[in-house]
Formats: sequence, structure tokens, C-alpha cells
Amino acid sequence: MSRNTLLWILGTAGTLLATAVAVAWMTVGGDRRILLPGKTADAHHQIELACETCHAAGAFASAKKAEKALNKACRGCHEAELKAAGDSHPPRKFRNPRMAAHWEKLDARLCTACHVEHRPETTRTSAVTVPTDFCVACHSEGERDVRANRPSHAGLAFDTCASSGCHNYHDNQALYADFLVRHADQPWLVPVPVHRLSVQTRTRASRTEAALGRGDAMAPESALRDPAILDAWAASGHATAGENCAACHAPVAAKAAGQSGIEAQWVEAPDTAVCEGCHRWQAKTFAQGRHGMRQHPRVSKPRDPHRRIAALGLGTWLPEAAVAWFTDPAPPRRMTVAETHLPIHAEAAHLSLHCGSCHRPHAVDTEAAAVEACASCHNDSHTQAYFGSPHHALWKAETAGEAEPGTGVSCATCHLEKVERRGNIVANHNQNDLLRPNSKMIRPVCLDCHGLGFSLDALADPRLIARNFRGKPESRVESIAWAVRRAAENPQEEETESRVQSPRRNSP
Amino acid sequence: MTQNLAPTLAEDVVLLLLDDQSGTLLPIQEAAFKCALAGAMLMDLAFAYRIDTDLHSLMVSDRTPVGDPMLDRVLERISGHPEVSSAHAWVEILSSEEAGIIREQALARLVEHGVLQRHRKFPRLFRAHRYARVDGVTERELKGHIRDVLHSDDIPDPRDVALICLVDACSILADIFPREEIEQVAPRIEQFHRMDLIGHEVTGTIDEARRAIVLAVRTRAARFGKWLAAFSFGGGLAAVATLLAPRIPMPDRFGPGLFELLWSDETWQQWSGYTLLGISLAGLLVALLMKTPLLVRRKSRDWWPLVHVGFGAGCVLALFAHTGFRFGVNLNAALMWNYLALLVFGALVGISMRRTARPPLNAALNRLRRFSIRAHLLALLPLPALLALHLLIVYLY
Repeated sequence: MSRNTLLWILGTAGTLLATAVAVAWMTVGGDRRILLPGKTADAHHQIELACETCHAAGAFASAKKAEKALNKACRGCHEAELKAAGDSHPPRKFRNPRMAAHWEKLDARLCTACHVEHRPETTRTSAVTVPTDFCVACHSEGERDVRANRPSHAGLAFDTCASSGCHNYHDNQALYADFLVRHADQPWLVPVPVHRLSVQTRTRASRTEAALGRGDAMAPESALRDPAILDAWAASGHATAGENCAACHAPVAAKAAGQSGIEAQWVEAPDTAVCEGCHRWQAKTFAQGRHGMRQHPRVSKPRDPHRRIAALGLGTWLPEAAVAWFTDPAPPRRMTVAETHLPIHAEAAHLSLHCGSCHRPHAVDTEAAAVEACASCHNDSHTQAYFGSPHHALWKAETAGEAEPGTGVSCATCHLEKVERRGNIVANHNQNDLLRPNSKMIRPVCLDCHGLGFSLDALADPRLIARNFRGKPESRVESIAWAVRRAAENPQEEETESRVQSPRRNSP
Repeated sequence: MTQNLAPTLAEDVVLLLLDDQSGTLLPIQEAAFKCALAGAMLMDLAFAYRIDTDLHSLMVSDRTPVGDPMLDRVLERISGHPEVSSAHAWVEILSSEEAGIIREQALARLVEHGVLQRHRKFPRLFRAHRYARVDGVTERELKGHIRDVLHSDDIPDPRDVALICLVDACSILADIFPREEIEQVAPRIEQFHRMDLIGHEVTGTIDEARRAIVLAVRTRAARFGKWLAAFSFGGGLAAVATLLAPRIPMPDRFGPGLFELLWSDETWQQWSGYTLLGISLAGLLVALLMKTPLLVRRKSRDWWPLVHVGFGAGCVLALFAHTGFRFGVNLNAALMWNYLALLVFGALVGISMRRTARPPLNAALNRLRRFSIRAHLLALLPLPALLALHLLIVYLY
């Protein structure tokens, strides 16, 4: 055999081997990072190795099936959020055959028409991958031609629709015309600026008969040696609600067994599953948000190589070492701070995100969780500027007891929505619900203290946001003025529009 | 055993062209070297009275084996194809299909005769061996003998005339002796070409073989060389531009613009991708066919390198349509780099081939050509795997 022939045989064999390995990674299991065609958008990088979460159609599915599966995955995680926001452009609106003419331009029946993953170059805010003037697809001709229908819009460019603070594609609950008209005359600061729902969470519940004190602590002797821990627990909501040490450290024994059982089952550092046992809704929303999305039930689990290899008829033939090689790398169930793509403090990089990351385990202090916990990791200009801002001054005054409950503004006030559930005010740990577009926070948060006009202007001013609202907005969003003028000119039309908007819960 | 066999002209050619310093053959034009080996075979067969030529054709006059495996192999081949009738055609065929084997056989015989020693060379990937002369006597004897023949006025031996005609026909005499010396003995070499110094019966065949070699070497150098270099240069330039040019930004206006369709629309992406795949496969097919008898014996064979380079240039265009100078990440980036390496080294082969096919030979360019050929082939190896994976990702996910 000549040297050239040998080299060709070796080269071809090597190439085939490499292909086989990569195909096995694709179909059986293994590290698929090399196959990623591009970065995923926003926080999706946390689950980008769980490919089957979105690519659920299976191998060699038709393009239609694959597309359907992708869109189903989008809806699986984001549908409830859109529904709560009264989505202005729900897919069902475009399934109407009368909209067929628009499908060619922009098929708005599909999430993937505007949000395509793995395309970092064209990915804009809110993971939008179409040009910012996409409204032109439907609103530039015929009866939907806004520039012809609304004199105020004549001459406006379509790339300003969503960037000027006037409109969003999905969530317009604080932007629709009737709402604007109703809140047109509000001052920049309301007479009694208090966040209504925070008032209740910031007011300490009075002690009840079930409340426990230091002497009631049920724990092994060794665990009771630290008085600071004991004091923190005794002053916490847990003790007030009658939850003893064992409720977390030996949950099974706490219900049935006595002291001896508690000592036997005592766990020094309980897992977050213990927290989730009682705070189910918080845990659920935490998994829906950016901090805990790896725990979202819809995120696909690592593939089982044994099962897949067995399906190929190689179950007992392959050595365990090879099977291990074809095992999906399992990212930590909890994201670490280092994994975020946002500016962070280097010293916090090693921390992982779970209940205890923000809430001190014994004090369960929501004050620290509302500001210090956030600022211990986030290091962007908005967070840095918070300290010393008017909002921070109010927060300091409230926490020092110098101002009424609910007057202070913490990070959590604006970014973790307070919700009333079964008579309790609880924090929605899915920060997405108030994050993007930022006008989402107008109704549940901003309007408690500020007028709509000021809120719109402030949230449309990126420099003011970076300064954490130190100062006044530099520009003005004209939408209120235009809406008022239009309402005065066409009162009937405005009423019709107001009926199609669904008001949000917890909003004025 | 070949111990008792007389040295063939092919062995003499190899011995003359062996570089003492590197232990490898001098970096001469590959086509010329192959033609020299092919011509040497024909001349040796003529000396053995096995072939004869007339004005139009080369014919086998005696099918009886010579007793030398090297020559008998070629004789058998010529006997088996009576339809190929010209010396030029046989120089073409033997230089394309048999030159490698003849070279290896000649080297093996020189080793066996104790003229050369074979050493392993590091790295072993491409050139597994180098050769060192055992004592240099044989080589000095041969060179000195040729020099004597060129400088003297004596009647030369027909084999010496054949050897000198052979190396001169391939324009490699200047690679063996100093240029000034060649110029000095030019009239004598011209005498040899006229074949009027030797009254040998095979003079006609030797002369015919010499003319066939000259024709083969010149036509190979001249035919489409300019176009080949131009195509290669253009394709290479476009490939380098792909490497260095800033990517064309994606359109920021909504609407069905050409670039948006090319780089965002999945249907268009598939079209451009499969077009690129088709062009790549066609280029590969041409490259493979060029090495097979199907094309080697056809007169159109000189077209095919041009076609191959044309497909290469087409690849660059399709690559641009598919990616817009975007390298992507991970596997896509690997595929892009692989493609560009293949195209750039392919272009270098085409450009350097033009320069190295015409005397005088530029040794540095010749080394560049050899390196580029190897790099081009190396870049080809992972490409099918990367392409297959690139396609599989689309259909599996």
C-alpha cells in the first residue's frame, strides 16, 4: 500500500470517527456546546444546553412540526405572563383568515416570526430579532394604516413605535389611549406616595397565640448554643407563625416525633426543598423568573444515555466509560452568579441562586433581601446609582422607622411584584413580570406614587434609568397629549378602544 | 532480486536529481520529472528493441519480456493498448499513471544496488524516507561522465545521448549542472538532438520520445496556465476578502430586501447552502476524475483543472451568499475556517502551478506549491464531516 493511500485511509477513517462521535452527541448524549449555532437570547443561556426544552419535535421532524414544537415551548413558559398582560397581539388574532394577507410579511401567529433564537447579531431588546420598524408589516396600508388614520402619527417613522415609550407589541396595559386619557391630569407625585401592597408586607404582624419565643425552640442542644441565631429566629416571621426550628431542620420529625426524633433527623443546612414545601407559590414564581429558571418544570432533563443506547440495541455492548462519555453535562441546577451576562461583583461570582442567597435563613429578613441581596451581586449603573437616590433615601427613612410603611422604594418594590393571594401579600419572584418592557411596572408600581405622564417619561429615558431616577426626564412622551386631543375630537372611538383592553390586577 | 539487472535510464534520472543535502529529489517541475521518467521507460524499451516508431505511431515490435520488472510492466501495458498509437500519448499516460510507481521502483533499485541508503525522516506524515548516497562515487561518476560526454568531441554512447536528451527535453539539465556550463555546451547538446552522432538503430525512437517529452512538458505548462492562475488568484482573493472583510450588517429596515432574504429567510438559506454543497461536491468530483484514467487519457484533461478552480471560485460566491462574511460560532466557525483554508490553499496551488510549470524553476515557489497541495488536501479531510454535522443539526433540532 502506498503512503498516499494509507494517509487517505487514515484521514477518512479519522473524519468518519469524528463524525460518528458528533452524531452520537446529537442523538444519544454528550457535550453539545460545540453544536450551538449561536448565543441564546437574554436569560435563555441558562438553559441553552437543555436543547429539548425548545427543540422538542424529535429528529427529522418536518419543518412544520419543528416550528410548532418551538412555538409551543415559547408559549409553555410565557403564555401566562402574556395573558396576564392582556396581550395586544395574541396569536389567535392572526389566525383569522382575514389576516392571511399579512402572514407573508410577518406571520404573527408564530412567536418565532419575531423571536428567533441563536441569532445574537439581530437580537434586540426583549429577544426581538426583526427590525424595529416591524409594525410597518400591518400598520402601513389599508384600514390599519396608522399614519393615514391618525393625524398625530402622520410622518412618524415606524421604528419609533416601540422605542418612544408609546407602544409595545404585547403589553400595552398602561399605554392604551383610554388609560392615558383617564390619567392625563395626574401630578408627577401623588399627594400620598405609598406603595399600597407594600404597606401590608412592611407592617409586622402582631404576635398571636401560636407565636413562639426563645424558650420554645426545639433543637438539639448543640444547635442552641449560638444566641444570635436563636434571637434571629425568635424575632422572625417563622417564630411569629409558630414554626419551630425543627420545621426546617427536621421537617418529618417535627410533625410526629418528639425531641429524640428531631435530634436523630436533624439536618444542619436544610435544602431549599424545605422552603419550597411551605412557600410553594414563591418557589414556583422563582423558577419562572431569571434567577431560578433552570428549575422550571418545562426545562428538559439531561438525556438518559443508557435508555438511548439501549434503543439502538447497544445497551449491554458499550462499556460504562463510553456511556459516561455520552452523558449530557448537567449544569448546576441552580445558576451561579458568574454565569450571568450582566455586570456583577467579582466577589459574588461563586454564589449560587437559591432562597438562602437573598433571605437570611434564620432572620428571614425581607429588608435585606429587598436591597442588600440584590446589590451584593448586581453591579450595573442602575444598581450603583440606587444608593443615594431619592428612592433609596425613602427606603432608608422607612427602614429606620422615620417614615410610614410603604413609603420606601427598594429594588424589590419595583422588580418583584407584590400580589395578594388568599388574603396574604406575597412577592412574585418572577421578575420578568415587571421587567421588559419596563412599562409593565407602571400600573402595579409607579402609579402608586407618580402620575402616568411622569412615569411614561421617566421609563422612556434610558439615561434617567441609569441614574436610578435622580433628576427629571429629559424628554417627553407625547402619547398622553395626543390621546387627549384625539379623545376630544372622537369621543365614541375612544370608548370602543377601551373595551378591548383588559385591566391588570393590582392596578389603580 | 534485481542485483544483476543493468541500471535503467529512470534510475540514472533519479540519481542525477537526488539532492545530497536534503536526501530528497531536487524541487523540479513535477510534470517535467514525470515526463522524464515516462520517456526513460520508452527509451529503455527502444534500446531493448521492444518498441519502434515511425512518422505517426509507436508500435510494439517484440512482446517478449525484457527480464526487467520495471520495463516489463510498461511493455505489458503498451502491448495491451494497441489503440494508443503515438509516443506523445504514451508519455502522457505513463507520466500521469505510472510515474509514481517508476520513481519508487527506481529508488528501491538504487537502494538494493547499494547506491543509496534509505532513512526514516521526521515528521513521517508526508515524506516517510530520505535517501543518502552510500559513498557518492556512483553519483560523481555519473555526473562526471555526462560532463565528459558534453565537453568532448568523441562519438558518444547512444545511452548517454538518450540520457542527455531526456534531461534536456524536460528542462532539468539546468537543475543538475551550472547554467554557465550548460550555455557553454549548448552546441554539443544541439548536436545530440539531431541524433547525427550516433548510428544506432533506435535513433528514430529516441528522437520521437524526446520530441514527445518536449511536447508534453510544454503543452502542460502552456495550456490554460494563464487562466488557471487568473481564476485561482481571483478565487483566492475573494476567499481572503471573506476572511478579512467586515461582515455586511443585517438590514435594520423591515422588508424583503435581498440581504435579509439571504441571511434570515430559512428557505433562501437552504437554497444557498445546498448550492454551496453542490458546487463543493462538483469540485471534488472533478478533482477525483482528474486522477482517474477516465479523464487522464482524454485530450480535454487540461481543461479540468480550470473547471476545478472554477468550482472553487463558485464556492467563494456561494459561501458569501450563505454567510455574508459571518463566521458564526462553534461548529459553524470551524466549517467556515475549513472552507476558507481549502479555498485559499487551493488558490495558492493554482497560482504557484503557473509559475513552477515554466522554466526557470523558482525553488521557493515550488516548495510553496508542494506545501499548498498538502494543505489543500488536509483541509479537505474534515470538510465532509463538518458539512454532514452542519446539515444534521438542521434536521435533528
